[in-house]
Amino acid sequence: MTAILTIESLKYNRNQRHILHDVQLTLAGGKVVGLLGANGAGKTTLMRLITGSAKGSGAITVSGSSTPVGRKQHVSFTDHLKGFAPNQKISRIEQFYDAVYPDFDSQRYQELAQFLDLDGQQKLAALSKGTREKLIIALTLSRQVDLYLLDEPFSGIDSMSRKKIINSIIRWLPDTATLLVSDHYVSEIAPILDEIVVVKDQTIVVHEETETIRDQKHMDIETYYEQLYEGGTDND
Amino acid sequence: MEFDDKVPIYLQIKQVIYHEMVTGKLKPGEQLPAVRQLALDLTVNVNTVQRALGTMIAEGFLVSQRGRGNFVTEDQPKIATLKQQLVQEQLATVYHELHALNLSDDEIITSVQRYVQQRGNQDDSHLND
Repeated sequence: MTAILTIESLKYNRNQRHILHDVQLTLAGGKVVGLLGANGAGKTTLMRLITGSAKGSGAITVSGSSTPVGRKQHVSFTDHLKGFAPNQKISRIEQFYDAVYPDFDSQRYQELAQFLDLDGQQKLAALSKGTREKLIIALTLSRQVDLYLLDEPFSGIDSMSRKKIINSIIRWLPDTATLLVSDHYVSEIAPILDEIVVVKDQTIVVHEETETIRDQKHMDIETYYEQLYEGGTDND
Repeated sequence: MEFDDKVPIYLQIKQVIYHEMVTGKLKPGEQLPAVRQLALDLTVNVNTVQRALGTMIAEGFLVSQRGRGNFVTEDQPKIATLKQQLVQEQLATVYHELHALNLSDDEIITSVQRYVQQRGNQDDSHLND
């Protein structure tokens, strides 16, 4: 199977502190992958490194491109809508995406916006946390790329918005593309994940298929994830 | 749909579809929804649905027609054996649990008979409400 994302010997320091080191990761196409880790473990940093908006040492390749400029063409990531003014209307943000990204599919955006009840006339500052996350999902999934990144789309939102977001992922994620979605509360998305990747102690400590965890360890994903933080003596 | 996250999801998806075949909610020869639609209906991963359907095709309970989708087998005796299998599984659980309470085989039969009788009376009284 062809790899969509390959990370080799990635290291990243900030203010002389190790944030990430010895990161190795290969993701195949057509997968939904949960990126798990405690707050501050480096999940967002890893996403910024993948898109090239943060620079570390080591090699990151997305669909054969290893330069930051090349990678950006294959990765869709809406970094918390940073850079948009609070009084910006949703419709203006969509127009910006349409102008900047040649792979932006307006038709697809309309479908997503309708499904997620987004109102183009609303201003960014007036959006609830849930609506803001829905906008991020709609913008991110409207690009036609190989790798999609979603950073904590479920934190602090109501259960109805969560369901809508999960359903949009199932419905609109292209067959051959891979989604890397970070979360620190895995049970709400466990049924839609093919694999989990856990960031702990400044590196990736686990990359495993969810069905293998259920089948071989007879554990739910949340419990498996939590026991990584309990002493670490239980190695069977 | 809520799944038990300790059990492989594809096995639970199979159980859901088997149940619908045995109860007739899915009829022999009926077409299943598309994979992505099933994933949406069950709120699960598309690949997991694919895996569940793949094993059901291998077992002969579903028939895949290239380009047209997946269909429930028209082999009625095959569906009957599936029903037998599901009944056996339920009975095995009950039998095991009652044995664990130190009931003999005869006592198990007697208590099941008594239960069914009482249950029947209850349901009758409901009907007369």
